[in-house]
Order: sequence, then C-alpha cells, then structure tokens
Amino acid sequence: MSPDAGAPGRPRPEATFDDGLQHERTALAWERTAIAMMVAGLILARAGALRDRWVFAGGGLVQTVAGGAVLVWAGAHYDDLHGPLRRGDDVVHPLAARLVGVAAMVGSGLGLVLAVLAAVAD
Amino acid sequence: MEAPPDPDRAAAGPDGARAPDGPPARRSTDRPSGVRERLFPEDPRRVGDEPDYRFTLANERTFLAWIRTALALAAGGLGSISLLEDYGGSQVLGIGLLALSFLTAASAYRRWAHSERSMRLGMPLPSSRLPMMMAVGTAVVAVVAAVMLIVDRT
Repeated sequence: MSPDAGAPGRPRPEATFDDGLQHERTALAWERTAIAMMVAGLILARAGALRDRWVFAGGGLVQTVAGGAVLVWAGAHYDDLHGPLRRGDDVVHPLAARLVGVAAMVGSGLGLVLAVLAAVAD
Repeated sequence: MEAPPDPDRAAAGPDGARAPDGPPARRSTDRPSGVRERLFPEDPRRVGDEPDYRFTLANERTFLAWIRTALALAAGGLGSISLLEDYGGSQVLGIGLLALSFLTAASAYRRWAHSERSMRLGMPLPSSRLPMMMAVGTAVVAVVAAVMLIVDRT
C-alpha cells in the first residue's frame, strides 16, 4: 500500500490501519456535530420567523447551511485523512474547530438575544 | 547528571518563563487577558511535539461533544420559548438554557486548545470548570423550571 493512499486523486485504502477506529469515531463525531448544528439552526430560524425577527431567522438559516457544509467536509475529510494518518502527519485542524466553535457561539448568542427580546416584549 | 532540557520545550515553558540561556519565551504562553486571546488561544501546533494521533483525535472528539452539548442546550432553549405556550416559565427556562449554551460554546475551543497544547508539551492536561459549571447550571435551570411549573399550576 502506498503511503499516500487516501490522498485526493489516489485510490482509497482497502483497510483501515487503526484498531481503535479513532479516525472513524472522530469523523462520526464531526458528522453528529454538523447535524446538531443544522437542527439548532433550523429551530433558531423558525423561532425568529415566528416573531418576525428576520435577522435571527437569517442567522438560523446561515447556521443550518454552515452545518451542512461541515457535514460534507467531515465526510470528505475522513477520506483525506487516511494518507496523513498512515504517514504519521499532524492531523490537527484548528481552523475547522474554530469555525464550528464560532458558529455555535453565534447561534447560541442570537438565540439568547431572541429569548430576551421575546421576554421583554411580553 | 541531568540532561539539558529540549530547547524548544524550554523556550515555550508552561508559564512563559525564560529558558535558562535561551531567548525570551513566547508571551503567548501566559494566561491571556484580551477577549480574543481568551476565546481563541494561539494555534497549539506552534509548540511542542505532535502527540500520538489517538490522543489528538480524542481531544477533538471531546471538543465536538462540548459543541454538541451547547447546540442541544440551544435547541432546548429555543424550543422552550417557541413551543411551551401554556407554561409561564418558558422564557426563564429558555434564557437559562441559552445562556448555558453560549457559555459552553464560548469555552469549548479554548479548552480544546489548552488540552492540545499540554499534550504537545507533555504536561498534565489543564483542569476545567466547564463540567462543574454545566452540572450546576443545568441543575439550577431545572430547579427554577420546576418551581415555575408548580407556581404556574396553582
């Protein structure tokens, strides 16, 4: 097996080398998180739209789309990581973690402001 | 005789201390004070050595689990203000859950970066108040919601 197996444009490896399936579990964790982002985004969009708060509804939609993008990225990244893991390269990606962290923070922040506005309005 | 310390590690010591004969250590290792530095500590890949990939991935999964917790709290909070029409405490419950969600989401990356950094430097993982905060926060929200429910019914 070539050490670059799994890199883009090369044939996929036929077997995983990781007995603990850490790589696959991590990919699934990314995918679960992406789905949770989409669900939270949809609920935010709905809650905003119900109150005619279109900025919040738009924020929710952006969060949903971002969740979808993370989902697609996670699936592609799982394949792309086979090669680096076999080579023993660094597999950390702070940028993805930062983006997901910021998206979750902005989504929660928008939700919090929406909840406070709803409480004040009543 | 004790072996000389690895210069890379010494220069980026845990407290930003000066290496014995080396250049001044990076200040980024201090506890940062700015909001940006607090929320988004420096890329941990700049210090130390790469740990076993299994630990890196476990740290990443832990970060993702915290993010999911934040997202679940946000969904619960927004669901509370949107769906619980007959319950007087729905907004208090929603605000409480969303505040917890925001705090969790805001500290998750920092926690990940500090753990990654410690693993790369071969230091003990930093302790975190996040689990305690989450347990106490959720308990408080639940108790307040229960009290509101009882008051609402009477």
